[in-house]
Amino acid sequence: MSIETDILVIGAGPAGSSAAKHAALNGAKVLMIDKKSEIGTPKRCAEGVSKEGLKTLGIEPSSRWIAKELTGVKFISPNGTSVWLNEERVKLPEAGYILERKIFDKHMAMNAARAGVEIMVKTIATGLKRSEEGIIVSAECMDQSFDIHTKIVIAADGPESRVGRWAGLKTTLKPKDMESCAQFEMARVEMDDPNSIEFYFGSVAPGGYAWIFPKGDDIANVGLGIITTKTDKTAYEHLLEFVSNCPSTQNAQPVELNIGGDPVGGMLKKLVTDNLVIVGDAASQVSPLTGGGIISAMKGGVFAGEVTAAAIEEGNYSQKRLQEYQDKCEVEMVKTFKKELKVKNYLLNLSDEELDSIADAFKNTEFERISTKEIIKVLVKVSPKALLKLGKLF
Amino acid sequence: MKVNEWCMYCGECAGVCPRSLIEVRESCLIFNENECKDCRICIQVCPVQALSKEE
Ligand SMILES: Cc1cc2nc3c(=O)[nH]c(=O)nc-3n(C[C@H](O)[C@H](O)[C@H](O)COP(=O)(O)OP(=O)(O)OC[C@H]3O[C@@H](n4cnc5c(N)ncnc54)[C@H](O)[C@@H]3O)c2cc1C
Ligand code: SF4
Ligand code: SF4
Repeated sequence: MSIETDILVIGAGPAGSSAAKHAALNGAKVLMIDKKSEIGTPKRCAEGVSKEGLKTLGIEPSSRWIAKELTGVKFISPNGTSVWLNEERVKLPEAGYILERKIFDKHMAMNAARAGVEIMVKTIATGLKRSEEGIIVSAECMDQSFDIHTKIVIAADGPESRVGRWAGLKTTLKPKDMESCAQFEMARVEMDDPNSIEFYFGSVAPGGYAWIFPKGDDIANVGLGIITTKTDKTAYEHLLEFVSNCPSTQNAQPVELNIGGDPVGGMLKKLVTDNLVIVGDAASQVSPLTGGGIISAMKGGVFAGEVTAAAIEEGNYSQKRLQEYQDKCEVEMVKTFKKELKVKNYLLNLSDEELDSIADAFKNTEFERISTKEIIKVLVKVSPKALLKLGKLF
Repeated sequence: MKVNEWCMYCGECAGVCPRSLIEVRESCLIFNENECKDCRICIQVCPVQALSKEE
């Protein structure tokens, strides 16, 4: 058996479905494959997105895939001091939602199908070679092995990302650029405010942070991400410790365990080659500071879909033609990611005591009234050396 | 490489293998053992310590 298409999208996560939909809407014949038997399951995500992000993508929020609307955010230092920003204290344009990713991902794939995309589930890409017309991808579905002949491949294969490597792109990540994450979805979580997300900093999660993202009045994703070069314990061991020490989870019970890698080193340098582009986690299109990648994966997907469809129409699938995709991603993401990397490195340089002093200094602050100068004053007092590394951010 | 029963096929190990030797299927992991340089990066990053080296 062999299949022919204009564009083959490998991976049906947010990046793949977004790319496939926009390529089809722009006139290309698109096939999207995913190795999973159920798109979106298991989830590897804390499910937080910003309202602004969905709005920019033109996605109407739907009660089918929104678990919770958020109105606040709380930062908790190692000794438990919290800085709480909610709509009463500060304008939060970045307030957001907690999704039901298992439904959201399926919903996005369904939208791609409605745009004309053909979808194959339980279908894995196992290799790739070049041909005169484009690329031949070897694939397997159940007991069938077959070739897919395509002019362009969109590699949306997530953090494990091997497709780009087959085409010669450097997508392998160093352990320092991959957060190792573990999370429980839990019931009986006791939160001060079930509409606020909580971030816990310091040695609780070396190289990353721990989170409690509420999904219902007593339901939450409780998880953390660590950099494994900074600790001898696994993410799961850190999670067990966090859950047993955190006041909010003393009576909480898990109903689900999620694990996975989050590529937080900043967007990869090269995203295109002849006949192929990489998108989403495969391209490290993830906020280095928060580890959030749903919105940026989908933005990357829009660009990838539009540019590849235009390339198909023009009959030019060269790296030079596809470079437009990379250029768009750079404008949209790279500057912000670079700033975020600086802030993250600053935070990671602080000791637990320094984080406690910052939280203490800001705990009663009226953020709408405080000036940048005053914020810097506090940070200088806490750690001038670390602040230097932040450079010109404000 | 020994893949323990509690592997959850998240793919993090595959993302960091410098030689791209790990294929993650929906519910199995395939290693190309012949090319493995024993760097153990895959073992180090696994969130649940599901990999161990068969000595
Ligand atoms: C614990 C954790 C918490 C997170 N929390 C958040 C959060 O709160 N907010 C946020 O915005 N982001 C979060 N992220 C990041 C977010 O989940 C990802 O950035 C997002 O899923 C990226 O989408 P994607 O489409 O690029 O990749 P994925 O969603 O990983 O999709 C890739 C798809 O490719 C398929 N695939 C892989 N290889 C093949 C192959 N060879 N053949 C066929 N199919 C293949 C996979 O089955 C998968 O369905 C979190 C990540 C982790 C690990
Ligand atoms: S990182 Fe661990 S749990 Fe994830 S696929 Fe690899 S061995 Fe399995
Ligand atoms: S030990 Fe190193 S080379 Fe071998 S599979 Fe693991 S990461 Fe790859």
